[in-house]
Amino acid sequence: MSHSLRVAVLGAGNWGVALAHVVACNGHHVQLWTRDAQQAEEINAEHRSERQQPGLAIAPGVHACVGLADAIEHADVLFIVVPSQAFRDVCRSLAPLARPDHAAVSCAKGLETRTHLRMTQVLMQETCIRQVGVLSGPNIANEIAQGQPAGTVIATRFPRVASAVTRALSCRRLRVFESSDVCGVELLGALKNVLAIGAGMAEQLAVGDNAKALLVTRGLSEMMRIVLAVGAEPATTAGLAGIGDLMVTCASPLSRNHRLGAALARGESLAAALRQIGMVAEGVYASRSACELAGRYDIEIPVFAHIDKVLHENMPVGEALDALMGLPTGHDLPHFARGPLTR
Amino acid sequence: MDTLGTTQRANIHAPGQHAPKRHVIGGSAVAREVTQRVMQALDGAAAHSGRTPDDVLVETLYHRQQRLADPNCGPNADQERERIKELRRAFAHARAGSRSSLVEQVVNDYAAEIAGHFDPRVYGFATSVIPSALAALLHGGKPSTHLFDVDERILLEGEVSALQRAARQGTVVLVPTHVSNLDSLVLGYAIYRLGLPPFAYGAGLNLFSNPVIGFFMRHLGAFTVDRTKLDPLYLATVKEYASVLLEQSQHMLFFPGGTRSRSGAVESHLKLGFLGRVVSAYVNRHIASSQSRPMFVVPCTLSYPLVLEAESLIEQYLSKRGGPHFVDVRDELEEPTRWLSFLRGLGSLDVEVHVRFGQPLDPFGNLIDEHGVSRDTHGRALDATRYVQADGVVVRDAARDAEYTRSLSEQLLSAYKHEAVALPSSVLAFALFSCLHRRFPRLDLFHLLRVLGPTASVSLAELDPEIDRLLVALERLAASCQIQLAPELRSGGRSAVLEHGVATLTEYHRPAVLRRSAAAIEVTQPSLLLYYRNHLEGYGLPGAIELPQARERNAGWGST
Repeated sequence: MSHSLRVAVLGAGNWGVALAHVVACNGHHVQLWTRDAQQAEEINAEHRSERQQPGLAIAPGVHACVGLADAIEHADVLFIVVPSQAFRDVCRSLAPLARPDHAAVSCAKGLETRTHLRMTQVLMQETCIRQVGVLSGPNIANEIAQGQPAGTVIATRFPRVASAVTRALSCRRLRVFESSDVCGVELLGALKNVLAIGAGMAEQLAVGDNAKALLVTRGLSEMMRIVLAVGAEPATTAGLAGIGDLMVTCASPLSRNHRLGAALARGESLAAALRQIGMVAEGVYASRSACELAGRYDIEIPVFAHIDKVLHENMPVGEALDALMGLPTGHDLPHFARGPLTR
Repeated sequence: MDTLGTTQRANIHAPGQHAPKRHVIGGSAVAREVTQRVMQALDGAAAHSGRTPDDVLVETLYHRQQRLADPNCGPNADQERERIKELRRAFAHARAGSRSSLVEQVVNDYAAEIAGHFDPRVYGFATSVIPSALAALLHGGKPSTHLFDVDERILLEGEVSALQRAARQGTVVLVPTHVSNLDSLVLGYAIYRLGLPPFAYGAGLNLFSNPVIGFFMRHLGAFTVDRTKLDPLYLATVKEYASVLLEQSQHMLFFPGGTRSRSGAVESHLKLGFLGRVVSAYVNRHIASSQSRPMFVVPCTLSYPLVLEAESLIEQYLSKRGGPHFVDVRDELEEPTRWLSFLRGLGSLDVEVHVRFGQPLDPFGNLIDEHGVSRDTHGRALDATRYVQADGVVVRDAARDAEYTRSLSEQLLSAYKHEAVALPSSVLAFALFSCLHRRFPRLDLFHLLRVLGPTASVSLAELDPEIDRLLVALERLAASCQIQLAPELRSGGRSAVLEHGVATLTEYHRPAVLRRSAAAIEVTQPSLLLYYRNHLEGYGLPGAIELPQARERNAGWGST
């Protein structure tokens, strides 16, 4: 197929704007939906969105609109780029306009607070759309908007969705990899935010790089347990959506979750720390979901559980770290990940 | 919609009211079409894989010989041995170019074997004798002053009118839970009693081995599925057979669980092979004609207070999960006296089998309205054909359809849970098992059953509050339509659980599952108690246990 795709990007935060820009740079038609009429005007008239992507000259193929119906009417593929806690509301607005032949891709990294559902599950609950996928990976929006080299992963069970997303995004600066493990990719995208909070805490406490690596790696092992328990593919943990995303989130002191962890380690309360960041920190909700899932599937996740205690039970960060260091040790790798020499 | 769990008798037709209108089921024309399609599929696959007819024949011969090596390969082993010999001979003598016709012959034989023996004239007779035959069985053939009424024992509940409407508006695929070998008979009766046209039905060969049930099976639209045949060519033929029937608008019934529930729990996993044929038939029908009749999938649950083959089912479950050796046990259906005594037991007790129909779904899992139009979760009409379109045209896409099928199976599993009926026997068994388990909380299921030994007593003082707790939880679930409650549970509470539950579980099974004394209940068959309690497994009820499955338990930082 050589004709251009018709793409709707729903949500014009920094990631939404970056994605719309990349898709338009690839020669496709993009409708970018925003609730902010001023932002729409700025994008359409000046090809800029200073608050979301300062300095970026947005590709002229991006057309912003404030009406959801206008955005999706002629679209083949929808990218839903809104925070996970706003995801259901957007899906509800989308529902009367959605068609069974729409392909929809979740670009949110989180689970719904109350239900602990993944975003594609929410999407399928609220709309008639079945051809769904999730986009995840080590994707700092600003870097991608600036055209710095990066890779991303589209997880879907529908070849049509995978090929449309690849066509829409793939270029020499952004490599698109495919996966069929939708559940694993979504869970990992949400869970890594919790470990980023932990990494921020370790950084602030200045306990050293060894400690940070220990915390993150044991946390990764727990992520793998959760992924396995819910029936997803543990090997996904080793991919872009797993360790790839974890590396970028835990290494970057600019990430919201990382900053939140650092603020908590300085002794600030959760409320104060969140105020200070002024943005959504998905890890705060994801730690609750992780503990809920661990209870449901009867698995132990001490790293996640202690970060959760710091977040929601006022446990001092130092005490949590101390408690973790006192836990019994066992084999480094989980049983299912061991080869013949270590099994 | 009926949410009270009461029978919708008003919608049930008088026997014989509806004569079957279409007679697609089985026959040589279908077999020919099936053969042609399987051969086309083989040709198509050969173009990609390079597999020759020789490869296919060698594979077929291998599987057929392997099957014969198994002592449980079923009847007619000598005949099969002869056929294999003939096939080998023909294979050796055939010229390279004509081996494709040998493959065709094999497929044709398979298709002929699978094809039903449906005859509309016999259908009329067979259906008319079901109620009296069932009644006679339940009375041991003796004249009785109290004439047994099958209608009073087999309750047809739930979305009965929606099912009847769906059968008029389009093609129905009825997908029940699978509890017992008697399911086929009960469902055959239900289909007839609701005035529905005959349904094609893939029945295991073992059902045909029983002369009485075999008679009904053959003439109610059943085609045979021999589960001992693992030859891919045979499996492809069976599946294609189902596809052809569906594409010809034949109503169909099959058990998506694939086999009877061994544990007694409602299905938590479905096989996607046959189910996948629903979406592919939908696509093929829409490619053939844009005015195709709609297709509906109707979930259905069967809830029995007593199960004919409970002993062997739970034994198979425990031996399969508990150890490396699978113990092959008897099939009660092959023991005529056994199932006769079961039916009589059912007849002498005041118990009812609940056949409950769920809301019809389209092949993509959406609910349909009274006009047969698909609706989204908010009740908005949608054009379901767009699920299989690309750029406005219906297209085949196996990967897409596999995913739709997976999502349909999840919808069905959820419907099974919601439409299952909690019965006094399952509630009593669940409460008793919880009391026994509480005594040994650290033991896994197998150790627990071993420790309990042949008898274990639970005092009523301990049991009563357990039943009360359970009933409160069940009522809460029923209030949000997450399970159905048998009418006696709604009206009688704990005393109904004790009265009906004890009566049911002391009948039929020998030794009885339990005995009641003045102040206690003595459990004499803990495994059977487990089987009946499992009907309520998976609802998060108080006293839930972990049914064994392979899993790793992680602890601490590291992994043990």
